[in-house]
Amino acid sequence: MSNLSLKNGRNAGIVFGIIILIMFSTGFTLIGNQLVAKLIGNEGFKGLDQFKVFVIFMVLMGLWNGSTAARKPAIAKDEMMPAIANGLVAGLVFGVFSLVISVFFGTMLIIKVDIRNYLVNISPESTKLFLFDQTPVLGGAYHFGIALITSFAGAFLAHFTRTNQSLRNFIANSKRSVSDFSGSPKVVSTVNNQYFKIASYLVLAALLIIIPRQWGSYWNYVFGTVGIYVLLGLGLNIITGWAGQLVIGYVAFFAVGAYSFSLLTSPAPHNLMWNFWIALAVGVVAAAVSGLLIGLPILNLRGDYLAIVTLGLAEIIRILLKSDMLTDFTGGPRGLQKVGGPTLLGNSITSDIDFMYLIIIAVLVVTFFAYRLQNSRTGKAWYAINLDETVARATGINAYSSKLLALTLSAAVAGLAGALFASRNQFTGPDDHALMVSINVICLVIVGGIGNIPGIFLGAFALKGLPEILREIENYRLLVFGVLLIVMMRIRPEGFLPSQRPKLEHPIDLAKSGKEE
Amino acid sequence: MAICIETRNVSKIFGGLTAVNDVNLVVEDKSITSIIGPNGAGKTTLFNCISGYYTPEIGQILYNGNEIHGLPTFTIASIGISRTYQNIRLFSEMTAIENIMVGQHPQQKNIWIDSMLATKRHRTEYSATVEEARKLLKFVGLEGLGDHLAKNLPYGAQRRLEIARALGNKPKLLLLDEPTAGMNPQETGHMTSFIRSLRDDLGITIILIEHDMRVVMDISDQIAVLDYGEKIAEGKPKDIQSNQRVIEAYLGPGGSVLTQKYQQRKKLRHDAKS
Repeated sequence: MSNLSLKNGRNAGIVFGIIILIMFSTGFTLIGNQLVAKLIGNEGFKGLDQFKVFVIFMVLMGLWNGSTAARKPAIAKDEMMPAIANGLVAGLVFGVFSLVISVFFGTMLIIKVDIRNYLVNISPESTKLFLFDQTPVLGGAYHFGIALITSFAGAFLAHFTRTNQSLRNFIANSKRSVSDFSGSPKVVSTVNNQYFKIASYLVLAALLIIIPRQWGSYWNYVFGTVGIYVLLGLGLNIITGWAGQLVIGYVAFFAVGAYSFSLLTSPAPHNLMWNFWIALAVGVVAAAVSGLLIGLPILNLRGDYLAIVTLGLAEIIRILLKSDMLTDFTGGPRGLQKVGGPTLLGNSITSDIDFMYLIIIAVLVVTFFAYRLQNSRTGKAWYAINLDETVARATGINAYSSKLLALTLSAAVAGLAGALFASRNQFTGPDDHALMVSINVICLVIVGGIGNIPGIFLGAFALKGLPEILREIENYRLLVFGVLLIVMMRIRPEGFLPSQRPKLEHPIDLAKSGKEE
Repeated sequence: MAICIETRNVSKIFGGLTAVNDVNLVVEDKSITSIIGPNGAGKTTLFNCISGYYTPEIGQILYNGNEIHGLPTFTIASIGISRTYQNIRLFSEMTAIENIMVGQHPQQKNIWIDSMLATKRHRTEYSATVEEARKLLKFVGLEGLGDHLAKNLPYGAQRRLEIARALGNKPKLLLLDEPTAGMNPQETGHMTSFIRSLRDDLGITIILIEHDMRVVMDISDQIAVLDYGEKIAEGKPKDIQSNQRVIEAYLGPGGSVLTQKYQQRKKLRHDAKS
């Protein structure tokens, strides 16, 4: 008992106290409340006043707080006392934080100091919500009580799940049976079976054909954007993920593709009105050529030169497009309107469903080729350059031309994405090509798992799809994003789906050989 | 016998430091040549000149009679000169077998478009490459470890894997930079016989830098000694052992007296025994 450490409890309490303070001062408690209401299937608080929902929210926070305090590895596994004590301390600290917040802001509300002059998001409503519509002291006391009780309960629950033998056996058994099942020869041979593969591809194809017809134009728009970003991610992955050359201004190639496509198909300023497919090809080629030209003078250097040069290129292109000087050629700051849509056998196919199909096809084609390149001779050369360029050169790899090829291919993919993006929006302008696009693409590649193709799909969905789905927290996008990045760095530093190397020595019996060793 | 590689008056200068000074070295086909010398003698710099990292300021390097100094590293690798490194430099995030496949890069002809379209050239070369890589893996005794990441292999295996990667290029000349560094006597013995088998079975010319004199004296056909960038001696192992300048380079000016005394005492002890 003498060496009972309460540090974990104190730390957890402080962390959760600060979290609740930040949530309150950014107005997130209101939003969190709405999310909880949505979670328990009661949107709009029908027959349930929002204060009760807020109680649930605080209870969840308290449980989390307590379990965090009791779960820290420093606490001995089978001792109940330290876990519970830490949970209580965490609840105490957390409760004091909530109490202070309640009393302070509640008093401010009563003496009618408009706190919004200093902290924009603290509205009287959110303060009232935080106090459960009570007086400051009473609300604070409620908070204190809830925090103490729920943290205690959380600590107890955490301790229980950790020490209860039958529960742990159950978890271990179910884990084992899942891995046994997925690793059993029967399952492996089924998954590797040709007919099974064909059947699963057919199911996938049917889903991809049916779903865009069913879910309406909003979802087609959201997932179309995700698809465009998947394309960008796949492209950037070639040069940055595989060849290891950081490209910060990737949006430059996106802009080249979008603008060369739009100039050829838009009525103003040149009225060329080319066929969609030819213009698409020209857009891709123009982007590829721009990548090649940018790479020629700098890719025989090592280090971060490419990052800096492409960063500059992206800004130069955006500023040039925005300037009045080129208005007669590129449409100036207002951009290009009425960009042409795709045609097939003389019919115009420009509905959102058609565009969804077009983007799906583009993503599938690029993914297919990316998979083929990944473990080919070229792909291995890229990865070797990424890992150790000096040694790669000494094993006979022409690093300069390999890197040029990677940059050209990745620029071509960006050009494709740009052309599709412009065509779908029927518009392109300088603001579509801000640097933020590049940053987003780099982030999605890193979050998903650099160098890994499924990771890019996940990353694009997480970064572009989720914010659309979670419209309620749109203002907190960067907050959530920051939290996501921190969580990722803590638990999966190589991305959510880190890349795996192929098994080439024993390609078929991989499950079996893994067990023998 | 034909000459495999020859350096003529090669000098490499870094600012005010002459790392390699006027070195002439002739290496015959299918021979094992050791380069020895104290630390900082310029051995690795000479290797770097041959394999194309550095271009010597003065002098020529001839490979099969053709000048190769000044050529880019990857060209030198693709005409059949492979090397390993003093501090192991594998592609750590790749599997062992992939490392070998990267080594086979110059042996293949297929380009990116072949891989994208999966042409016949790609398919035949790819399966041949994997097959060849498995053979090499077996040859260096790493069978069964092929699917492990290179960084997870034990030290001795990493050394051998590095040699396997160098062999992927089907080299005529192999430059080994301290192949037995950090090995215990048993592993060193294995490595020695392995190097010999490279020469005997595969017909590869080998130049190695080595500090372990037992290895050097055991396998070398020819030894060159560098000190302060200059070649101070060259010859058969026996000649080098008794060479005054070599002993002085290693043990300092009094070194030759010390060794004479040692020899005398050894002789006395031998006489006393008999």
